[in-house]
Amino acid sequence: MRKNRWKAVAAVMLLAAMTAGCGLNGGNTQTKDNNTELSSIEQNNAGQSNSPQTANEQKDSVIVVMGPTSEPESGFDPAYGWGAGEHVHEPLIQSTLTVTNRDLTIGYDLATDMKVSEDGMTWTVTIREDVSFTDGTPLTAEDVAFTYNTLKETSSVNDFTMLDSAEASDIKTVVFHMTRPYSIWPYTMAIAGIVPEHAYSSDYGQNPIGSGRYIMKQWDRGQQVIFEANPDYYGEAPIMKKVTILFMEEDAAFAAVRASQADIVYTAATYSDQEVPGYELLSFETVDNRGFNLPAIPSGSFSEEGIPLGNDFTSDVKVRKAINLGINREEMIQHVLNGYGTPAYSVCDKMPWYQPASETEYNPEAAKALMEEAGWLTGSNGIREKDGQQAQLTFIYPAGDSVRQALAADTVNQLKELGIDGKAEGAGWDTAYDRAQSEPLLWGWGAHTPMELYNIYHTLEQSGLAGYSPYHNETVDQYMDQALASSSLEDSYELWKKAQWDGQTGITQEGDIPWIWLVNIDHLYWSREDLNVAKQKLHPHGHGWSIVNNVDQWSWK
Amino acid sequence: MTEIKRGWNRRKTMVVLMAFSMIFLASVAILGHIFREEAMVTDFSRKNLAPCLQYPFGTDFMGRDMLIRTIAGLSMSIRLGLLTAFISAVIACVMGLAAAVLGKFADGLILGLIDLVMGIPHILLLILISFAMGKGFIGVVIGISLTHWTSLARLIRGEVLQLKESQYIRIAEKLGISKGKIAVKHMLPHIAPQLLVGLILMFPHAILHEASITFLGFGLSPEQPAIGVILSESMKYLAMGKWWLALFPGLLLVLTVLLFHYIGETLGRLTDPGHAHR
Repeated sequence: MRKNRWKAVAAVMLLAAMTAGCGLNGGNTQTKDNNTELSSIEQNNAGQSNSPQTANEQKDSVIVVMGPTSEPESGFDPAYGWGAGEHVHEPLIQSTLTVTNRDLTIGYDLATDMKVSEDGMTWTVTIREDVSFTDGTPLTAEDVAFTYNTLKETSSVNDFTMLDSAEASDIKTVVFHMTRPYSIWPYTMAIAGIVPEHAYSSDYGQNPIGSGRYIMKQWDRGQQVIFEANPDYYGEAPIMKKVTILFMEEDAAFAAVRASQADIVYTAATYSDQEVPGYELLSFETVDNRGFNLPAIPSGSFSEEGIPLGNDFTSDVKVRKAINLGINREEMIQHVLNGYGTPAYSVCDKMPWYQPASETEYNPEAAKALMEEAGWLTGSNGIREKDGQQAQLTFIYPAGDSVRQALAADTVNQLKELGIDGKAEGAGWDTAYDRAQSEPLLWGWGAHTPMELYNIYHTLEQSGLAGYSPYHNETVDQYMDQALASSSLEDSYELWKKAQWDGQTGITQEGDIPWIWLVNIDHLYWSREDLNVAKQKLHPHGHGWSIVNNVDQWSWK
Repeated sequence: MTEIKRGWNRRKTMVVLMAFSMIFLASVAILGHIFREEAMVTDFSRKNLAPCLQYPFGTDFMGRDMLIRTIAGLSMSIRLGLLTAFISAVIACVMGLAAAVLGKFADGLILGLIDLVMGIPHILLLILISFAMGKGFIGVVIGISLTHWTSLARLIRGEVLQLKESQYIRIAEKLGISKGKIAVKHMLPHIAPQLLVGLILMFPHAILHEASITFLGFGLSPEQPAIGVILSESMKYLAMGKWWLALFPGLLLVLTVLLFHYIGETLGRLTDPGHAHR
């Protein structure tokens, strides 16, 4: 024991000596370190003081962050969904014949004039002659005709069945021969980018050549796309000379904001209570709506593929009306979207073809009265019953979509007030479409074309029912057919409105109300405080490319 | 003092600790089952609350009480673990016995099957089976049951091969007792302790695998209160500083797994004759 203690003392002394020695040396190195640190700080300072200057020099570039699903899988080819896909937007690289104005009426891009024949079967469009592709070749009517014929042949994501063929009657005139009257053709023309016939091949998506505001400079798949302004653009020269788009998941995008690595970054309402210095939260109104379908026929029948159709509870129009009255949209917006949304009453709120009669006031008393009237009386446990059946409804939402999950949950909570026993259930898209034929599903819609009304409410020829949820109303069908056949766009707006409600029948609260619309989700972005994002059009469904529709007009303050 | 010390030994400590673990796990399982409806309740007026007295584990983006949700999730995990471990043990027992008793051809076949299952990464096979069975509860149960029996089957086969050479089995054979009867009547009681320990040690695996495939989106559906669902949901909110969504459920999952592991190990030691004198 004693020996050990001596050893311990010796060890301590040795240690002390060593640290002392170290201390001396360490002192030297420390000062050295300090020096190097200082110089590096200086450098940093220099770098920082430089950076505003470089920022000054680069005041014409912007870094935008979008979600990974916004990256076009097949590249920047309109035939494979660029611009004209599920989520429509302006194609930037290519020019389009028409454009949608800020109020969603139609304006001209390449076109100088368009005419439709009396029977609606021929569209004649004249185009400007001063436009060239970025490789120097002039853009002619031949290219336009080629583009549309190619789109008709190959487009897998957009409907071009109404087009029979396109031909160039002379260098500046294109004639579209239609298979059926289609008055809203200009809305299709607004998203179809014109490709050059001489430079179009299977890898066009990777090396797009267009005549639009921007040139695609670089694309690192899975990471970023860099656009540079087209120096020979025929229109107003873009203010932003360089646009970099990064693709990131929601949480990574937020981290990029915190690290101050991007200028404008998409985000979701769940992040809206956060604060990031130097950034402000921008909120853009949209027609990006969420709602659910209520199958309008009783159960018992099956589709050709053997999928069960209809729902006995929701086939009663009084029940559907009661549900629509019993939804408190304002509360839902506060609950689920932290206030960043607007109430939705139709699939096309605020569009030129919106029927204002769709608007419905929250009225739980009237809703309960309707349920009573329909024969659904309150049972012992607070759940309504009729003929021994309980008022039950399962709301399906796409698994992984937390906003729709929360909307489904809040709908269930609100309907409990009416005595309806609801339940939310997540499902994959592989089964969701089929299940929606007999149960409500939380959908997201909203596009800059009235065709959306047609897709949702118009019956299909084969089944006699609407495609996404069983419903049919001949009058509604007729109005929409007339709207498509109408020779002027303005007249067609009126007919689209009548399809929704004509004073007698329709798809609104007073009518059949086969779909309930809940909210339009504001699109949220973290934006640098000194970035001036020009006034936006109402964003459609798809929280992605719509933000850069007018990136050429953005500026730094 | 010495009196107590003599009466109290490590084996007894082990038994007591084991009993506590079992009671804890059982009460979690039962409580979770009782509160399974409450765990689904959403109340948006109390969303995103940090842990407080009323909600010790906080609440999530739909105002669900994370304490109840976590317990319900753990309960689901424990019951699922119980079921799958039991099924796996039965498969392992049958396979192990069959391999050892039914002769060369059966032995080769079963060993081949074991190698086949073990050759494919567990989680991959699990995802494949679960996905093919349509995910959800059934998919997870079948997936885990069909992937976890192999090592226990191997163990039992080895044990039975040894037993086959022992005197009393040979005598039974000579007496003309059928192979099946020998296996059930004379071998099964002998391998029961290994089987039991194997079964319990399978629990943590089963629970973790359930959590991981659910986390990856191939297991239970997202509205169910399962630990995997809770953890994968909370990932999104970590960046916003909502740490409580992942921390408590994660810790409790680890605790559950450790407790099961402890019970298994302890049981193994207690039943092992070599440890009898500690």
